[in-house]
Amino acid sequence: MAEEKSIEIKPDGIMEFLKPRMGARFKTWLDICAHCSMCADTCHYYLSSGRNPKMIPAHKVRFLKDILKKKGKVDKAYLEEVYKTAYHECNMCRRCTLYCPFGIDIAMMISLLRGTLLTQGMAPEGLKKAIENYQATGNQMAITKEDWVETLQWCEEEAAAELVGLKIPIDKKGAKIMYTVNAREPKFYPQDIMEVAKIFHVAGEDWTLPSESGWDDTNLAMFCADVKTAKTIVENTFKRAEELGVQQVAITE
Amino acid sequence: MRFYAFVAGPLLWISFAVFVIGSLVRIGMFLRVSSQKDKPVYQYFNLGYVLKTYGRWLLPVNPGVFKTPSFMLLAYAFHFCLILVPILLRGHIIVWEESRFGWSWPALPPLIADVMTLAVIAIAALFLLRRLVSQDVRLLSSFSDYALLVVTALPFLTGYFLAHGTLNTIISPFGMQIIHLLSGELMLILIPLTKLSHFVLFFLSRGATAVEFGRRGYSV
Repeated sequence: MAEEKSIEIKPDGIMEFLKPRMGARFKTWLDICAHCSMCADTCHYYLSSGRNPKMIPAHKVRFLKDILKKKGKVDKAYLEEVYKTAYHECNMCRRCTLYCPFGIDIAMMISLLRGTLLTQGMAPEGLKKAIENYQATGNQMAITKEDWVETLQWCEEEAAAELVGLKIPIDKKGAKIMYTVNAREPKFYPQDIMEVAKIFHVAGEDWTLPSESGWDDTNLAMFCADVKTAKTIVENTFKRAEELGVQQVAITE
Repeated sequence: MRFYAFVAGPLLWISFAVFVIGSLVRIGMFLRVSSQKDKPVYQYFNLGYVLKTYGRWLLPVNPGVFKTPSFMLLAYAFHFCLILVPILLRGHIIVWEESRFGWSWPALPPLIADVMTLAVIAIAALFLLRRLVSQDVRLLSSFSDYALLVVTALPFLTGYFLAHGTLNTIISPFGMQIIHLLSGELMLILIPLTKLSHFVLFFLSRGATAVEFGRRGYSV
């Protein structure tokens, strides 16, 4: 656990988060789960833990029912248990839902639990830091616009040394494709950008990269159910695509 | 006699009313809450995905059946018999014919009705055993899971006793009729109030998930 141990749990905060989000689907799923255990061996955590019953997807969402029943009045130790399950025992792959006769979406409920934890400041440190960066700079690595543009410029120079005439077009209006990257690329792996530029060049594609926020296509806020930040990240990309009038948005591998 | 009149009269009406109105309320509540809090389901509603998912899960042609055929096929047989026997049983149809409604429809041959009744009881017993024996299912099970299995099987068991006079030496047929009525009424009342409400909520839950999964190109 990476959280500061001193924080105080605020049940109001939990309920304020959960109440408007407890839609008809969540309520129904908690009510009708037949506890048939069909989801057990669809879960890779269950299978890779030697079929540990605690890893059964239907069992993992017991916390949601419990927290609602207790009206959010739970303690730190309890939430640490929830944290363990929500972050380390489910990666929200949704495979269990494919095999559930009722189509119960366990992953959505795990996401709701992660959001609940976030109301109490509980999330992996890496994700919390990334969210701060997104909010401040629009990308998870806190890269400034100057650094970003400069990186693209020297990437262009280096790649053009190999392929004469290669360009990395920035903010080219009316281009066909707007390309977006993982912010780790300009930070740690600029060669990836160069490789892609070479492919676009050789393929003769009409492409561009935006200089303003929206070029980072990762969305780490989504992983801790910070819907507000997650939405802003996606909106930035759409905004840039509209401004540039592109037909397609391509995302990095 | 007065107790019988109550069980076969007002209590039967109350049970049917709770069952029908309760089920409608559950549907109404889902629609009301979902219209405010589950907007994507309406925004991306697609009848094709919904009908496809109903077909795949109401019939044994879904990934679950291929993954766990023994359990799933028993579950299908259980539900098939569970729904058809009470509706198509001659003894029940006679009651409808004699009622103020005077409704009538073809009945199942008695032998088939017997086999289907015994199938419900046997499969319920197997499910109960599975719940007790399997470490996985036991962990998921709470009191209501066990109790509802008994509640579901009881009308079939008492109905079988009533039709065949199996326990006549211990309980009079009249007494058994009261027990049978009570067990059926208990089940009817509990359907909308418990997980048994899945008999209608299945359609809403499966449908809502199909809308989302279908749009993303996942299996529905």
